[in-house]
Amino acid sequence: MRTWRESNVSNQDSQITHTKQLDKGRLGLFFTLPAQTALLFIVVFPLLASLYLSFTTWSPMTGRGTLWYQAYQFWAWFSNYWNIITDSAFLLSLVRTVIIVVVVVPVELLIGLGLAFLFLEKFPLKKLFHSVILMPMMIVPAVAGFIFYMLFQSAGPVNAILSKILFVEITTPWLTGSVTAMICVMLADIWQWTPLMFLILLSGLMALPEDQLNAARILGANWWQRFRMVTLPLLKPVIVIALILRGMEAIKIFDAIWLMTKGGPGTATETISVYLTKELRYLHWSWVATAGVIVVILISFASIHALKPIKEQEEQT
Amino acid sequence: MIKKILKYVLIIFVAALFFFPIYWMATMAFKPFPEWTAAGEKLYWFPEQPTLDNFREIFVRRTDFKTDISSTATGPIINSLIISSLGTLMAMVLGIMAGYGISRYKAGGQLPFFLLQLRMFPPAAVLIPVMIMWAFLRMVDTWYGLAIIYGVVTLPFSTWLMKTFFDDIPSELDEAAIVDGCSSFGAFLKVVLPLTKGGIASTALFVFILNWSDFLIAFILTDRKWGTIPVYINKLQSATVGQLYGPKAALGLLAAIPPIVFGIMIQKYLVRGLTFGAIKK
Repeated sequence: MRTWRESNVSNQDSQITHTKQLDKGRLGLFFTLPAQTALLFIVVFPLLASLYLSFTTWSPMTGRGTLWYQAYQFWAWFSNYWNIITDSAFLLSLVRTVIIVVVVVPVELLIGLGLAFLFLEKFPLKKLFHSVILMPMMIVPAVAGFIFYMLFQSAGPVNAILSKILFVEITTPWLTGSVTAMICVMLADIWQWTPLMFLILLSGLMALPEDQLNAARILGANWWQRFRMVTLPLLKPVIVIALILRGMEAIKIFDAIWLMTKGGPGTATETISVYLTKELRYLHWSWVATAGVIVVILISFASIHALKPIKEQEEQT
Repeated sequence: MIKKILKYVLIIFVAALFFFPIYWMATMAFKPFPEWTAAGEKLYWFPEQPTLDNFREIFVRRTDFKTDISSTATGPIINSLIISSLGTLMAMVLGIMAGYGISRYKAGGQLPFFLLQLRMFPPAAVLIPVMIMWAFLRMVDTWYGLAIIYGVVTLPFSTWLMKTFFDDIPSELDEAAIVDGCSSFGAFLKVVLPLTKGGIASTALFVFILNWSDFLIAFILTDRKWGTIPVYINKLQSATVGQLYGPKAALGLLAAIPPIVFGIMIQKYLVRGLTFGAIKK
């Protein structure tokens, strides 16, 4: 008799926890559903539509009034894909994007880290210098592009300053040479986003536990040893995340380039975003759809690796 | 001591490097036409005859320069304000809810990582079907058409930032409220939300800065009527004198004001959210 009652009670208990769990699931769904619906309409559906269009040669011009869902009339199987992966303009724009990301992000990290170390100590007017260095990241990127367009004119201030330092007249037409234009584009990005690296790394450094550094100091470790054996390992999670964050945004680099060079001279500074935007304006829609699908696939592969550290951090908590 | 002075000199030098481009824009905004470029063999390091003509040019429009745009900058500034605010509102409502769901109920499965992945896609790669859809719904070159896209594009940041802020609040608080007779949604609304006020405000300002700064999406999705500030700056050229240095710099200077003001306000919160909670405290 008694055992029956006990089992009944525990049964009820489990039923309660069961409904609680069900409730929890339902609540979680309730909270995330709006965001998921928005993503479904603005991201998932467009991606599927892109995939569909990428197998056709449809564009608003060739259609003679055909709507996008009638694009099957221009079905072309993989011809777009074949043409695009053999198209040097597309491939080169991918290569340029990778070059920019690979150069710019580590440079920003190193300068940002150096600056962060300088700002660990107290010095007069520290607050002022701190805000001055953070300013570039507040400038609208398109405007930053235009500023660098002004600076790197052949009769602009950069050449004037270089002439003064080197005592020779310098009139390099920075933005019309293909290598120099690439350098200018990178410099603009480094100028604008090093402050972000600096901000993140400085906060990371200040949040480090003091005692381990002190212990290392007492044990007689010099500056370099303390940096390599204590600071760097402790700071690593922050560095990794700063790199991911910058890399994520650097892949899309467009605004500053468009205002500086429009991807020129020729196609010398044409990154993937510039390439896609140009093709979009020529109304080569199915072509852009194909390129878009390829880019999305490439980035998805890259992101699986890139986002791993964040995922691991999430699972720990 | 010498080491200290050297360090200080280095800091001043670096700060000067970072400041110079801003200095150049700020002074350019007040330079009259003859001082814009070094065409007269002389480069003007500061405006010798400072003028407000550049601001007059963008707000009142004189006829000296033949530009191919027919409106003043007032329209684009208002457009930017409206569209960025609405985009922010949408990103915040969706992001607060999703952030709470993810933080408390571990809901949405891969949603948080899908959001980050989404942030990595170049907008131009996924915008065509959106353009087609918008053309079908007659939403190209409208305020709501652009605002909705902004709301989704910045959703990754609003969700992640809010999630880290919700993670900071012990879930015992919501549970206590529920025991006291609150519904789950009531606990969220009356207990948790008020506690994250600071976080919500800073996230909203951050998202606003992102929307305000966007050029690419507005460039593709708007035309004459609802172009934003960066789109307008891009168009500021004249058939006779080419790039309108002064007016572009003047508008650029004005456009920098909201991000600088907001940026200073939220500095403290920003880093935590941006590092996905890796920096504690």
